[in-house]
Amino acid sequence: MKSIYLLMLFAITASAQKVVRYDLYVRDTLVNFTGTQKRAIAVNGQIPMPTLTFTEGDIAEIYVHNEMDKETSLHWHGLFLPNREDGVPYLTQMPIQPHSVYKYTFPIIQHGTHWYHSHSGLQEQIGMYGSFIINKKADDPTFRKGIDDLPTVPIILSEWTDMKPHNIHRLLHNASDWFAIKKGTTQSYGEAIRHGHFFTKVVNEWKRMNAMDVSDVYYDRFLINGKNENQLSQFKGGDKVRLRISNGGASSNFWLSYAGGKITVVANDGNDVEPVEVDRLLIAVSETYDVVINIPADQTSYEFLSTPEDRTKSASLYIGSGIKQLAEPLPKLKYFEGMKMMNGMMKMNGDLDDMSMSMSLNQMDMNVVMYPEITGEGVKKGKHSHKKHTDGGASQYDSNALSDIVTLNYSMLKSTIKTTLPKDTPAKELRFELTGNMNRYVWSLDNKVVSETDKILIKKGENVRIILYNGSMMRHPMHLHGHDFRLINNQGDYAPLKNVVDIMPMETDTIEFAANTEGDWFFHCHILYHMMSGMGRIFSYENQKPNPEITNPKVAQRKLFADDRMFHFMAENDFATNGNDGEAMYQNTRWSIGTEWRLGYNDMHGYETETHIGRYIGKMQWLMPFIGFDWRYRKMDMGEREENLFGQTNTKNERTVFSAGVNYTLPMLIVAQAEVFTDGNFRFQLERMDIPLSKRLRMDLMWNTDKEYMAGLKYIIGKNLGFTTHYDSDMGLGFGLNLNY
Amino acid sequence: MYSFKNIMMAMFLLLSALCHSQIKNAITENIQIYGNCSMCKENIEKAGNQKNVAAVIWDKKTKTASVTYDSKKTSTDQILKRIALAGYDNSSFLAPQSAYDKLPDCCKYARELKNAEPKSEIALAPHAFHNKAVQTGPLQRVYDAYFTLNDAFIQSDSESVAANAKILSEAILAVKMESLSDQEHTNWMKVNTVLAAQSGAIATTKGIDKQRESFKELSKKLYELMKTAKGTVPVYYQYCPMADANWLSKESTIKNPYYGSQMLSCGKTVETIQ
Repeated sequence: MKSIYLLMLFAITASAQKVVRYDLYVRDTLVNFTGTQKRAIAVNGQIPMPTLTFTEGDIAEIYVHNEMDKETSLHWHGLFLPNREDGVPYLTQMPIQPHSVYKYTFPIIQHGTHWYHSHSGLQEQIGMYGSFIINKKADDPTFRKGIDDLPTVPIILSEWTDMKPHNIHRLLHNASDWFAIKKGTTQSYGEAIRHGHFFTKVVNEWKRMNAMDVSDVYYDRFLINGKNENQLSQFKGGDKVRLRISNGGASSNFWLSYAGGKITVVANDGNDVEPVEVDRLLIAVSETYDVVINIPADQTSYEFLSTPEDRTKSASLYIGSGIKQLAEPLPKLKYFEGMKMMNGMMKMNGDLDDMSMSMSLNQMDMNVVMYPEITGEGVKKGKHSHKKHTDGGASQYDSNALSDIVTLNYSMLKSTIKTTLPKDTPAKELRFELTGNMNRYVWSLDNKVVSETDKILIKKGENVRIILYNGSMMRHPMHLHGHDFRLINNQGDYAPLKNVVDIMPMETDTIEFAANTEGDWFFHCHILYHMMSGMGRIFSYENQKPNPEITNPKVAQRKLFADDRMFHFMAENDFATNGNDGEAMYQNTRWSIGTEWRLGYNDMHGYETETHIGRYIGKMQWLMPFIGFDWRYRKMDMGEREENLFGQTNTKNERTVFSAGVNYTLPMLIVAQAEVFTDGNFRFQLERMDIPLSKRLRMDLMWNTDKEYMAGLKYIIGKNLGFTTHYDSDMGLGFGLNLNY
Repeated sequence: MYSFKNIMMAMFLLLSALCHSQIKNAITENIQIYGNCSMCKENIEKAGNQKNVAAVIWDKKTKTASVTYDSKKTSTDQILKRIALAGYDNSSFLAPQSAYDKLPDCCKYARELKNAEPKSEIALAPHAFHNKAVQTGPLQRVYDAYFTLNDAFIQSDSESVAANAKILSEAILAVKMESLSDQEHTNWMKVNTVLAAQSGAIATTKGIDKQRESFKELSKKLYELMKTAKGTVPVYYQYCPMADANWLSKESTIKNPYYGSQMLSCGKTVETIQ
């Protein structure tokens, strides 16, 4: 017996595994980034969460003390670990209950720059992100002199908004253009005419597109390690510094550029790559990059600039001490050029046409047409911008061919080791199209959200190859839990290992991984609001053991699916001199419940409501069949009846009917509605809401076969407030105040 | 008359007091900002000013700005960063190279604050755009300034003309006579007062037509000087019959400084100095 003890002791000391413990206290807090106090979540009193540092071979023990009144969870992004430690609530564990302690523990079996964040609801937006750094062992054979022995600084990028994240999510789903107004990207007819792009705008609306943008949300501040401006004054001229950068932003991709010269990329998503020198790189949401920078001179600090893709603002890190050498700011995007480009790519049926350019690996960036630093400053009508290549085809979007600025793309990443998968093993191939619809903010794979699909079963020991095509109009950073995949590029056996692949519209990328760890692993778009809308799938291993953390799988699944099944509420009312006019909508991915009302101030004007319950059909969701209920009351002169275009009459003075009908969105975003009522009447209606005339001025137009018509103007003052004037065939001319939620 | 003056004075004081009182929690600091000319002044102040939050008044002579700001709403760093992004080095920030490069030639001040970096050879050469130095001797600055001024006349930009004339007059005053050869010295003594007077007149006169009158005399005297103190590259002495005046150019192509775009190619080369 004693000898066994001795043997065990020996085994433990031989592996020399060190237990590294962290205690994380999660608390509600108030922060002030903009001058107003707002709720946020701090861990150990700080935002971002503390940097957790380990050495490969350690055992991590992380105690999460949830001191909030809400549930939480922590996901270890990019780590190989047992599925039950992965931190996805209702999938790999039950959420950490309020005022309880939860222990995560797993062996650290890799190295590199990773990060961690809450996977519960929208908590990641308000502070729950932090760096997770794993150093190589000193005797690691892959230890790189001149890189792994440099001074290292963990950097986590993020963004802040004073708006509550749930409100952001709701506004996105209700196609509010408030963020566009804040960013100055309304792309109204007025602005289009000023820029000489009136025709571009008409074509854009003809193809049923709203204003185009490269990001969804307006943010008040952008942060580097929790601050807008930071300084690393411990370094001096001649020093080399390695920055371990994670993008912890909820929905912002960041451009990274440096005032002190080239940026040398040495690792990506925690995996070493052959050093590559660039002028700038884009770090997509949730990616990590290790870069090495030089400090060229003494008594000077050099700006490391992090600019969100929409270029609304930026965050700065000054490296070195002394006078600050600024980096060149990224000039504003030429949105109408982008709109023109989108017009060319969009087919009438809503599919994208890549003009057989077979795009992949971020090599062709269609957005270069909007970058003044690559394609020249925007020029007035009648002139053409300076393009070095006008031969058309793919090269007109290759930013490295168009300019002297070297921009990193995935084809430049080469692993330092061979990454080929085990040979002679069965292979499984899967294809997904990334699909989406900005108008209704529906994001999905193959037009299905997580709750509409089953788990995808894979077998332990097989190689899984996934081909992803982005058929939507936004870029998506797709993240796989628990595994690194090879991103197939031109580097052959040395294809880089990653766990996030950012796919631009119309790109096709192929990833492959060895299925080696059982469990339920989430594969999803890492833009927080896309993930919450259901853009993902779950990979599950065949015949795996049940996860002991999930005691009731049925309940857990229902809770997990609740995220993308969630309904979003919106309401507005126009308090006008001639009556009240408004609507309320309750919608989710597929269903819409909406009520419109027109309430006069006296019986002669009448009162009217229409309620429709409908289901959106198809990828673009242009079609919505519905059933409805109408009620109206209006006092009319004796015997007066209204007659519609088809000679059918109805008494408006008291009418209660049910109906069935269909909505269809026509070119120019006109909604056509055909409706049959239980009293035998038929109505056809055309309506176009929110025509953007200027940055804040909108126009509504409506006409139907009941000889009713309406024209209105709205001037948007604030997020929830506008001035209106409208003329209505029932109620006449009115002026009012529009309140919306 | 006297009382009218007093009223005006009182109103002026009141107005200036009002302007200042709009910035709350005001703090004023004097900060070093590099620049050359009155165009720099305009750029610096425009970049720094923010309604009711920050007011910048830059002085060309001392290269310092008086910065008044609302200490609760902004900081000197925020103001100075904006100024640096417009191209002007200051005590806290160095402008991005691209912003400096975009400055008009007259604004290209010497970047004394920028520490030597092994690679940034462009950054250290002031007037990087004058790729051909006309004369490498002590008069080079004068000649360079004249050609920049000539460019401003071609553009018919009165303000830029005034700013560049100022640089020229400073360059004239800065000529060290002991470094001139005997011949050059004699000629310099003949023309230098006229050169100084005319360039000064251009710098202070308003209106492009009057400035052009002075430029005639200036060009004539400089021609006399240049005939003896030749440069390393040819200079073309050109004549416009309509203005009945001459000018000097580094290019043989005619670009008429007396009429600008109205009659840009009017004139002919009468002599090539080489």
